[in-house]
Amino acid sequence: MLKKTIKSNEFITFSIIVLLSLIIGIINPAFFSLATVFDVLRASIVPSIMAFGLLLVIIAGGVDISFVAFAALGAYGTHMLLLHYGYQGGILLYYIIACAIGLLAGSLSGFIITRFDVPMFDVSLATFTLWYGFIRFFIGSAKNFQIPEGAVGYYAKFITTVKDPFVGEAGLHISVIYVLVIGVLIHILLKYTTLGRGIYAIGGNKDVAIRSGFNVRRIILIIYMILGVLSAFAGVTQSFLSRHFEPTLFMTQNLDVIAAVILGGASINGGRGSVLGTFLGVVLMQLINRAMVLTGITVEWQELVIGLVLTIFISLPAMRDRINKKTRHPVEIPDEI
Amino acid sequence: MKNSNVGYKSTIDKQTLLLLGIFTILMVFFGFVEDSFLTNRSISSMAIQLPEMGILSLAMMITVMIGGINLSVNATANLSAVLAGLFVLQVVPQLATDGNGGALIVTIILVALLVGVLTGVFNGFLVAYLNVPPILATLASMTVFTGIGVGLTKGQTVTGFPDALGMISSQSVFGIPLPFFVFVGVSIVTHVLLKYTTFGFKTRMLGTNPTAAKFSGINNKSITMKVYVMSSMLASIAGVLIMSRTMSASNAYGTATYVTLTILIGVLAGVISGKGSVINVFITVLILQVISTGFHMLLAGVKGSAFFKDFVWGILLIAIFIINYFSRSRNKE
Repeated sequence: MLKKTIKSNEFITFSIIVLLSLIIGIINPAFFSLATVFDVLRASIVPSIMAFGLLLVIIAGGVDISFVAFAALGAYGTHMLLLHYGYQGGILLYYIIACAIGLLAGSLSGFIITRFDVPMFDVSLATFTLWYGFIRFFIGSAKNFQIPEGAVGYYAKFITTVKDPFVGEAGLHISVIYVLVIGVLIHILLKYTTLGRGIYAIGGNKDVAIRSGFNVRRIILIIYMILGVLSAFAGVTQSFLSRHFEPTLFMTQNLDVIAAVILGGASINGGRGSVLGTFLGVVLMQLINRAMVLTGITVEWQELVIGLVLTIFISLPAMRDRINKKTRHPVEIPDEI
Repeated sequence: MKNSNVGYKSTIDKQTLLLLGIFTILMVFFGFVEDSFLTNRSISSMAIQLPEMGILSLAMMITVMIGGINLSVNATANLSAVLAGLFVLQVVPQLATDGNGGALIVTIILVALLVGVLTGVFNGFLVAYLNVPPILATLASMTVFTGIGVGLTKGQTVTGFPDALGMISSQSVFGIPLPFFVFVGVSIVTHVLLKYTTFGFKTRMLGTNPTAAKFSGINNKSITMKVYVMSSMLASIAGVLIMSRTMSASNAYGTATYVTLTILIGVLAGVISGKGSVINVFITVLILQVISTGFHMLLAGVKGSAFFKDFVWGILLIAIFIINYFSRSRNKE
């Protein structure tokens, strides 16, 4: 049991997080504080929610780049619609409408994928450019800073706050709860339902999944519905946290989320991945970002360092597999089912 | 990228016909509704813009043909431009001041191509020798290449090149700008390489079935490495064209859209593992440029008009998926 835990991808990611934290902490003791924890968590909220949706796609053996467009469409579309009617109420209506939009957009992608037998990645290319074009031509192409009165203070709604000698007062934002709830739900879905088993089965071997009686088309459609809803939810959350709505929300961040899911131990070839690992992957990405600020690597070299860290990380499992192959077994056997 | 091999020969011809049909319809449509569309000025402005995208698409295409992908094409183009630019400005400044345009351009092209080889080896090493899935390898290398450029330039745009640099994009022959000829030349070379050489045969073989390729004596690793090097070198050529058109070098050019577009072009052109036609890619690039320029003229003055083309591209791509689906199922019958 213990051996299995140590060998798991989640544990490796977790170890890297601990190691990295220790290194940063030794170089800059200001790092060890609740304020840092709160800050990293806050930055992880939105990417985590999107990553949970994307995780389902990746486990099923696909890759998607359009989920960021669902987020932008949901958030910006809802905002411009409600602004048009002079809505001044709370945030709940935003979530309801945005999630409905996300559900529709996700369903449309899922429909095209399953009805016309197109790879998920190819469809996501089309919908990525389609939705960002749609938003900026039909809805609007300028940032909007008018937050409804009912939701003005939302960005600073904290569960708890601490006094920190370096950054002043730091708070744990309330939307961390969303991550927890959504994470638990997706975890239950993946591990304890037939649907979840179906998702792993499709990623493991699609033909076998079909022959085992899984309704692959229905499963992929549901995955895309979930992806649409979660992305739109993340889009609204991000817009209220940053207190403005933008038509190109997350447009260049889709690859970062994919990288985070992979850092969390999911296999790009499908069939492997977990909610906990994905969350750790997102946290690791945020930590790497902060590590550079805190250890004094100048801004202009930060991107290179991220790139090198990413390169080393993705090379590790490949090299491990090579060594395993040479020493143990001539036939590839998956680590886990 | 997964597709049935059955009926391949006939579908590829159909795809070319389909694309040519779309191209003709678009030309006729815009020719009728927009008087200034078929003028020399608009055609030559299209001919300046599309070669960069076209060459990047070829760079993407050859990696997709061996079952890979190269997300770093745009980063490679920008890094090549930045390093070539810094080289002529800081290492051999006498070249820039001499007024010796030919030597300057040759130096820039050589440095850019060298960068292309090195970045290609980096990608090829990760994919072929460390077995990293190409999508991850090139995602990481994209960040590395951009990171090197940003670090060296401190995120600034490199400017101050002598006018001679602009010669590549400002020259025209018979009213058609030089970059277009570069694109045609690169396309022909790529076409010949893929279609009529053993390298091309091995590439297609590797893309169709890596195991079969291996057992028929093909060195998969070496072919993969060569393909990624070639991909990066093509990207470097695009980098030089961008540099000449903008008279500057920066890591920010095209970062948001170029990579997505090159993959989109490949998908539209029907490029899949083992199969890809340079001719189809060429026509597809023309189609996208016509849509872009056409709607830009048609919607001149409308708010956000520049973004309508993105919407149309998405619709077009989905339409092609649907058409291909029905032509596939008819072939099966």
